[in-house]
Amino acid sequence: MQTLNYTKTKQAARWFDVRRRKAGMWAYALNRITGIGLVIYLYLHLGVLSLLIRGQSSWDTFVGVARSPFVLTLDVILLAGILIHGLNGLRLAITGFGFSMGAQKALFIIVMLIGAITLLIAAIKIFTI
Amino acid sequence: MNALTVALEIFRYKPGHPMRYDTFTVEIEETAHVIDAIDLVWARHDPTLTFRRACHHSSCGSCALRINGIERLPCITRITDVCDGKTPIRLEPLRNFPIVSDLVVDVSEFFQRMSATGMTITCEAEDYLPLTVDSFAVADVVPKMVELPENLSRFNRFEQCIECGICMSACPTMATDRKFLGPAGLAAIYQARHKTDDPVTVKHLLGLADGEHGVWRCHSAFECTEACPQAVDPAGKIMALRRELALRRLQRLFRK
Amino acid sequence: MSENPFAREPRPTTAWLWQVFTGVGLVVLLGLHMIANHFVAKGGLRNYHEVVAYLRNPAILSLEILFLLCVTTHALLGVRAIFLDFGLSDRDETILSQILKWIGVLTIGYGLVVMWCVIR
Repeated sequence: MQTLNYTKTKQAARWFDVRRRKAGMWAYALNRITGIGLVIYLYLHLGVLSLLIRGQSSWDTFVGVARSPFVLTLDVILLAGILIHGLNGLRLAITGFGFSMGAQKALFIIVMLIGAITLLIAAIKIFTI
Repeated sequence: MNALTVALEIFRYKPGHPMRYDTFTVEIEETAHVIDAIDLVWARHDPTLTFRRACHHSSCGSCALRINGIERLPCITRITDVCDGKTPIRLEPLRNFPIVSDLVVDVSEFFQRMSATGMTITCEAEDYLPLTVDSFAVADVVPKMVELPENLSRFNRFEQCIECGICMSACPTMATDRKFLGPAGLAAIYQARHKTDDPVTVKHLLGLADGEHGVWRCHSAFECTEACPQAVDPAGKIMALRRELALRRLQRLFRK
Repeated sequence: MSENPFAREPRPTTAWLWQVFTGVGLVVLLGLHMIANHFVAKGGLRNYHEVVAYLRNPAILSLEILFLLCVTTHALLGVRAIFLDFGLSDRDETILSQILKWIGVLTIGYGLVVMWCVIR
């Protein structure tokens, strides 16, 4: 029987299609996006750490660049990703074993609020430390 | 009864031809359901329109499709609930199934998943059928306790799941993973597992769920539970299976 | 009639459980790592001598090694999960798992080498 099947790439775009979907789907899409971003950051970070092997002048030059407003802004974005992924991950660890299933939407809102408040405080500290 | 003029934008596909959307306008009673409008389109405008329907009261699951992007049963969705009077009602087939023609999808692999669990379509009921608000998604039914007539000792009741495929369409993992058992398959495993005490059957059913494309492939989007028209709560059943599997692993670890 | 592929019992997996376990561990370890390196350190980043002194503390070194193990495992299990969502063939799944395992081993090895070079 001839049928219409979409390509995997087109189907994969559905992972991030949150139109008319509820909190759980938003959490899933955010977790996936932040997860991919954090993996990329992990390997960039590990690459940067090789400057430590090159010695004091290489590392201290990097530290000078890393204190620029542009990089500090990137740090805030990184922290946002970490908070979204980490706090939602805790929610998934709880609901993933069937606990608080009825409150999964409320839990998502709560963890995002905690994340937003933490991010605000941390962002102020990042720029003033 | 008042009549409404309703526009329907329907997904069309015939093998060998490109996809398109056709718009039809029908006159319909305001108390009608979406399936009635589809019937009218087929009867009065285009007999080549392909769609499924049977019971017209959310028992068979045949008519499931997407209405304005959301998975629903058109037989219990009132026209007035989805028509804003400005934009046409958009009708599309379920996602994550191969499309055969127009609104009809190929459900053969879906039923392979269901038959793999060996779940029967009926089960023995309790003496009383407790009806709760959650059990009734259909509008305006007041839940109450049902008492058995004197000459009957128990009811024979259908499983909550009507195998409509809506949860499979709503699930983001089903979009790309054809090996995934899916919310319906895993909910069926849960139901079948809790109907038996036979350790061999329980071990087999839990074994089916314990693979990479069983319970562990679910990423907790919870859209299956949101979309299910029969309050099956597939997500809850998936998590309950996970809990049981994890506990059994812990028990095995400590027994070693 | 052909065999029903969904009726075959698959190989059981603990990947998701390890994902949760390392994830919960990371909430603690990453939190400590971030606070120690970016909020306690003066100016938000340690200079070279401060990094050396920091890593020469055995307790800190142990926590950073544990952090490296957790973050690498969690990250690569996550990457594996995304690829598995494409419903790869059994053979491709095995190849993918092997590739990611070796990427993990090399990543951890590289991290340990960097730490060793710093503290030595």
